[in-house]
Amino acid sequence: MMNHEELVDLVVEEAIRNGAEDVAALGSLQKTRMVRFYNNKISVIKAWRNSGISIMIGLKERKFVSSFNEISPEKLIGSVKELIKLGEKSKPNYDYVPLPKGPFNYIERDHKEDLAYLSGKDLVEYAEIAIERALKEGAKRVAGTLICNSEDIALKTSANVFVKDNTSSLETFVRAFVEKESSGQGISCSTTLKNFKPEIAGLEAAKIAKMTKNPKTFQSGRYNVIFGPCIFANLMNNVMEAASAFNVDAGLSFLNNEIGSNIASPNFTIVDDGTAKDGLNSRIFDDEGTPTKRTIVIGHGKLKNLLHNTSTAKKFKTYSTGNAGWISPSAWNIIIENGAYEENELFKELKNGLYITNNWYTRFQDYRNGDFSTVCRDGIFEIKNGEIITSVKNIRISDNFPRILKSIGAISNNRYWIRWWEVATPTLTPYALVKDIGITKSVF
Amino acid sequence: MEDIARYALNYALSHGANYAEVRLQRDNGSAALLKNGNPEVSSLIKNYGIGIRVLAHGSMGFASTNILDRENVSECILEAISMAKSVSGRLRKNIDFSSNAVSNEKWNVTTKVDVNSIGFDEKFELLLDIEKATISSCNDFKMPNRLFIIESEETEKIFLNSEGSFVQSSVPRVSFTYILTAYKAGKGTAQRFNQKGETKGWEVTNEWNLINFVADETRILGKILKQAVAPPKDDRLDILLGSEVVGIICHESCGHPFEADRIIGREAAEAGESFISPEMLGQKIGSDVVTVVDDPTLPNSYGFYLYDDEGVKARRRDLIKNGFINTFLHNRETAIEFEVETNGSSRSEAYNKEPIIRMANTYMDPGDYKLNELLEGISYGIFMKNFMEWNIDDKRFNQRYVGLEAYEIIKGELKKLIRNPILEITTPALYSSVDAVGKDLSFNAAICGKGDPQQGVPVWTGGPSIRVRKMRLGGLP
Repeated sequence: MMNHEELVDLVVEEAIRNGAEDVAALGSLQKTRMVRFYNNKISVIKAWRNSGISIMIGLKERKFVSSFNEISPEKLIGSVKELIKLGEKSKPNYDYVPLPKGPFNYIERDHKEDLAYLSGKDLVEYAEIAIERALKEGAKRVAGTLICNSEDIALKTSANVFVKDNTSSLETFVRAFVEKESSGQGISCSTTLKNFKPEIAGLEAAKIAKMTKNPKTFQSGRYNVIFGPCIFANLMNNVMEAASAFNVDAGLSFLNNEIGSNIASPNFTIVDDGTAKDGLNSRIFDDEGTPTKRTIVIGHGKLKNLLHNTSTAKKFKTYSTGNAGWISPSAWNIIIENGAYEENELFKELKNGLYITNNWYTRFQDYRNGDFSTVCRDGIFEIKNGEIITSVKNIRISDNFPRILKSIGAISNNRYWIRWWEVATPTLTPYALVKDIGITKSVF
Repeated sequence: MEDIARYALNYALSHGANYAEVRLQRDNGSAALLKNGNPEVSSLIKNYGIGIRVLAHGSMGFASTNILDRENVSECILEAISMAKSVSGRLRKNIDFSSNAVSNEKWNVTTKVDVNSIGFDEKFELLLDIEKATISSCNDFKMPNRLFIIESEETEKIFLNSEGSFVQSSVPRVSFTYILTAYKAGKGTAQRFNQKGETKGWEVTNEWNLINFVADETRILGKILKQAVAPPKDDRLDILLGSEVVGIICHESCGHPFEADRIIGREAAEAGESFISPEMLGQKIGSDVVTVVDDPTLPNSYGFYLYDDEGVKARRRDLIKNGFINTFLHNRETAIEFEVETNGSSRSEAYNKEPIIRMANTYMDPGDYKLNELLEGISYGIFMKNFMEWNIDDKRFNQRYVGLEAYEIIKGELKKLIRNPILEITTPALYSSVDAVGKDLSFNAAICGKGDPQQGVPVWTGGPSIRVRKMRLGGLP
């Protein structure tokens, strides 16, 4: 059987032979294992082995894409021919830009660890460690997921790019319950076994759950809020989706200001970094072959860059930031610069308000103006004079993203990698204090 | 196609599985995306692979691959079985399935126009006609952002299990998604996001009359932008909810909390649990006029199927009947735990996803009222015809819907457009306050997300208009 590097070579050559002017083929071989658990028991074990070729073809300014997962040479040749035959009848894309010309200099990441060597038994043991630690800390019920992923990727383009990389990660998120309405979440995710700490995820989840016993309802209004890493990562994922130039062009972004505008607090800086050494989603090249890099999106409160592929870059009269996506550019790893505050100092700075640990279900009323709401989940705490006085339940953040960005106050110096079901792009995030957050609840 | 499925089944059974099922799935289709009038990209959809689920050593394992040689399929199955075996005794959940009749069926949905006979050119021509109609429907406002996506696809499946079931199916689906952003200086923006979808051939795009439909949507969005005023501050008012809002309510606060896997906690770490407990079966949760149904067998519905992904015959489920909690959504895993029969609610997004409990087409059963009769009974209130923003907590108890096209009602008549009225309310309070249900049943298409890895499956959400008494609008004071 041909490997994925040979397959991308075959696909690109076949596409050119059939008249394609621009071709990019991204091949991957992926091995993923997952352990899911709930009520302190392991509920299902999953294992995937997938190999596939994604392809983008440019022909007479028409742009068409596909993913092939029947990967015998005969099937691939047939699929390429079918795609070109169909694609020729497509309509011209007036924003079409040819693929960037290589060769490029790629900077290899060091200290890469391929976690595929971990056995299924090892992964089950790590899940059991997380469950046991949460139970030892006082949790009554523990649920969660552990994922081990390993992927080899190769890209070949008709513009003189032939490059490969590999990524690997080990992640778990744990939700512990003490009572029906008392829950907490802990996360550990890493690109190395050494930094993967399932026991810390279990401990953190149980600690928060214990603190949320007997939660009270709360009054709607505006409050100063400390956001824990999970919720801040979710909110910042939405900011970075808004930073995709495709979304700005489609009206799906509140970051439609001039580059250089003051759009956030001066102490706030958010960056995309495809080269981050410990980034779960780092890769040395994007889908067009452009080397990935560190791109400041908001620097000290100013909008510095959007995220671009070559097509959006041309439209916005700038350069690709190495974030392709053949259709839409997107972030690799989100990095929020740390602040100067110890976490306990942040609570003293807040004095009175709320500390919210987690959220889910963020939805927009209007992507362009940034009006949205999101439901708070797990530990929510009322703070008085810098101390937690009670836990709170059943509240929702109802606010506006541009307003929140301008209201970020103190930021912690410690940061944490977060990725879980509600945080798709890995995010290195601190705790953050944000002023006058709109809090609402059910009226009946 | 069938050979590798039979091989996988036999291999799993001869290597430690005491139950095995195999799904071979092939998806073929294409999509076109038009952004701001520009044919951005067209895509060919081609997926093919195998998913194998086993019960072994008291645990459940799922393995999947698209590399369909016997050696690789065998290795994949062995990995799932050996991981299942390695679960220590104390943390093992001894899983079993409810018994179910053996199915042997071939079914498909016939089409007038094959979904795969339509080229990218025809797809873009339709989208460009919609684009033209949209632009020409903007009179004194602008529509700076338009995103249109049309997709057609056919899914072929073979399911077989170690109990002797064999189900083969072929299902075509067509969907149309649009996002419109209207703008006027001094008024800001207003957005509309919506989807149409059916299990049908390409002929459905004519039945939808998309050009006129989107033109109407454009004109209404412009009116909302220009004319809508802030919601009233009245303490108590009645709310008339349109079909689109009723559909999302039934999906979010009835369908999801009635999923038995949530009730037992299986989805606790991700999609969450449920405020419903098994003992609540038979309890009153809504007024007498409230009956909420989930029915996969509605012809041409977006969530249509005749056999689920455990090979179980599909059927209508009355989740809430005349205000009482009537039944939950089950697969074979939860059915045995609840000591009931499965009601065929197991679905999987693709060959590489574990089948789990899902809704199909969830809606409120229609009543006897005409729309004008529902209105006549309101002296002061709000008609929330559709919505943009919505969410609900992970127990499915506290929910929020923010209206888009919404009107003030005075003495039974529609008056001013109202900007973004908010209904923020608990599930029992909402269902208990419904006093009248309309005749005007209609449906909307959506993709519902759940599971890990997350799976998006096609569903319909629907209902008639309903009247909800003595409400208060939510939001910030």
